[in-house]
Amino acid sequence: MLINDIRLQFYDKIIHKRVLLLVSHDVDALCACKILQALFHCDHIQYTIVAVAGKQDLERAFLEHSEQLEFVVMINCGGNIDLIELLQPEENVVFYICDSHRPIHLNNVFNDSQVKMLVNSGDEFNLPAYEDVIRNEESDEDDSGNESDEPSGKRRRFDEATLERKMEKRRKRREWEQNKERIMYDYDEFSFYGTAASLVMYDLAWKLSKDTNDLLWWAITGLTSQLIAKRIDREKYVSDVTELNRHVSRHNHRGNEDECPLSVNSMKISFVPELQLTLYKHWSLFESLRHSAYTACTLKLWTLKGQKKLNEFLADMGLPLAQSKQKFSAMDVEFKDNVKDWLETSAKKFGLDNISVPSFQVQFGFKHKYCALDVAFAVDALLESVNTSKSAEERFMEALDCLSRTYIDKLEDGLDLCKQQMMGVVNQVQSLLDMKKVVSAGPFLYAFVPDGTPGSKFFSRPNCLMTLGRFTLEAYVKLYNRRKARNLPLVVTAPLDFENGTSLVVGIPPLPELEQASRNFFGKAFEQAAEKTGSRTLHDNFEPSVVIMRTEDRSKFFDALISLLQ
Amino acid sequence: MYGDKALELILELKRAAEGSLPPYNEDGIRQVLEETSVLYDQNQADVLRESSMTGAESLLSAVQFRHTCLERNQRCLLAYLHNRLEIIKEMRWEFGSVLPPDIKNNMSEQESQWFNKYSKSLASYMRSLGEEGLDLTQDRKPPKNLFIQVRCLRDFGEFETEDGSMVVLKKNSQHFLLRSQCEPLIRQGILEHILS
Repeated sequence: MLINDIRLQFYDKIIHKRVLLLVSHDVDALCACKILQALFHCDHIQYTIVAVAGKQDLERAFLEHSEQLEFVVMINCGGNIDLIELLQPEENVVFYICDSHRPIHLNNVFNDSQVKMLVNSGDEFNLPAYEDVIRNEESDEDDSGNESDEPSGKRRRFDEATLERKMEKRRKRREWEQNKERIMYDYDEFSFYGTAASLVMYDLAWKLSKDTNDLLWWAITGLTSQLIAKRIDREKYVSDVTELNRHVSRHNHRGNEDECPLSVNSMKISFVPELQLTLYKHWSLFESLRHSAYTACTLKLWTLKGQKKLNEFLADMGLPLAQSKQKFSAMDVEFKDNVKDWLETSAKKFGLDNISVPSFQVQFGFKHKYCALDVAFAVDALLESVNTSKSAEERFMEALDCLSRTYIDKLEDGLDLCKQQMMGVVNQVQSLLDMKKVVSAGPFLYAFVPDGTPGSKFFSRPNCLMTLGRFTLEAYVKLYNRRKARNLPLVVTAPLDFENGTSLVVGIPPLPELEQASRNFFGKAFEQAAEKTGSRTLHDNFEPSVVIMRTEDRSKFFDALISLLQ
Repeated sequence: MYGDKALELILELKRAAEGSLPPYNEDGIRQVLEETSVLYDQNQADVLRESSMTGAESLLSAVQFRHTCLERNQRCLLAYLHNRLEIIKEMRWEFGSVLPPDIKNNMSEQESQWFNKYSKSLASYMRSLGEEGLDLTQDRKPPKNLFIQVRCLRDFGEFETEDGSMVVLKKNSQHFLLRSQCEPLIRQGILEHILS
């Protein structure tokens, strides 16, 4: 059941009760969780937070913690799977799901008592009509029951009529089934993302009049993470940012600065157009230009010509090379102040029209100034850290911590991790292109990350592998400039666990679709390909286009995928 | 030098980390006591000598000096013992009536006797308060919040809260629970209090 009035139908119901919070491993979920925690603290709602990485985790966590609990809140998980089927909960358990994964599973939508979906009222779902997909079983049974009750003597007389009626019914049923299949196919074909969970939660906080700058910042981070993971298109992002900007100006409105001076340590959020360069404020400008997907792909930095073009670009900006290789914070003040304007004007000449996006930055104290893009990158890097001494849950907790102001040094660690990750990604893209490892299989491109390369450990994490995939696809398309390649999707695999012989497979939709709604058809395709060949795959991730596969089964899986997509 | 040993005892206590109890220095105390008795004996002899023969006033200043040393030793010993008792008393409030074994090992026989007696009288006093007794050791400082955020550091299993509901404390799960219920678990190192 979809819930629009979250305050009345969700918050007022769980107040003064114990709640189990299941949170998936992504930045948006973390931010939403933080917001919800803050609200729960205000109202003394006792809760238990458990991090869940996949469907198996979800099942286990529910089994372990569900005793005596009536309310389960799920953030960015569970929306696109049939929960009642998977978890087999008691009658009195109610699930509240705030999930940005689309499409929502229809059984969740049509379950009125136990599953409640918290969604933004502005979203469109294109839900099929109830009677089209769920048949009222009772009426069928009634009919068949009547038939058998009829005395056999009479039956012969009405035989013809009954037969006709039966045929008619069967035909209708078949028609209905076909129609249902078609509708379901249309509905399920693409997986995509809706409004960020953190925005939905922030909306709740606002309606409860409990929103503060901290909560607002988390909502911003959540939204920004959706942009950098290309889960939403630019248009949707800009409209959400405009929405948030209203809140930002409401919270950060100052009368006269002299009249009520604020402490330096208070949190200030401001709206600024920000450059789409990875961590440039914490790196050097040169490195940042090299490691950002947008600039690297447009300038074709994989070639000698591209490298020269980058130097040309810097010269056009009027920025000395020595300065550009300097840490950004240590650059001359004159350059530092102007670099954004210069970069924007020069970028236009080099075909980088979309280099800046509307974004926000936050400041507390003299030292800490972050922009939303960098924070989202850093939190993601912490979540996907490849440090083997930390379990997935520990990484989750660390990422959760780094969002609060007390643990700001953890965020700095995240920034460093992110740099390593980006370097790994760029090196991998370079080697894939140099060795011509991106191969066209006809209906799609594919690339394998070979085992044992220095950066390969980074790609055992789904988000990082997806970043690599998008980066590779964009670089490939821009580099070879073939018209045909433009509309091809990409499948990337990377070794996950060498000892168990498993690999991670992700599917990246073709570029034009990536730029629009990021609709991904690989979820269904992977499922079918695995089913046809009997490959041992694990569809554990909440994102359907990420699967784990036995490495031996790779070739037959790909064969099936090729024939499926043709 | 006279009095050095006694000073050593005091310094040892002072150097110990805040809130910890250094081992009972029996050897040191014995040495101080020996020194004291030597001083006393010498004084005794000198006083006897002085009273038996006249004109030995020159001894008087030495007697005075030894007596001061003796008194100083006594003061230092008393201070040593008293301060240890204060620490032990504090620990009764911190840890409750059962002390961790490593602290127990650092106490002398008399000290543990004292601890037991103190513990008993405190408990009976707390029982006498109100109708059903009052646990004075809880909330010694007014808490800022009734509930706190905690994170599980190791698997503990089911934990029954005061209102009868069950919470499963599993490693790396995070909870928002009543402060009073968490405190003992935090002390045992099962939960970690997180600030936000």
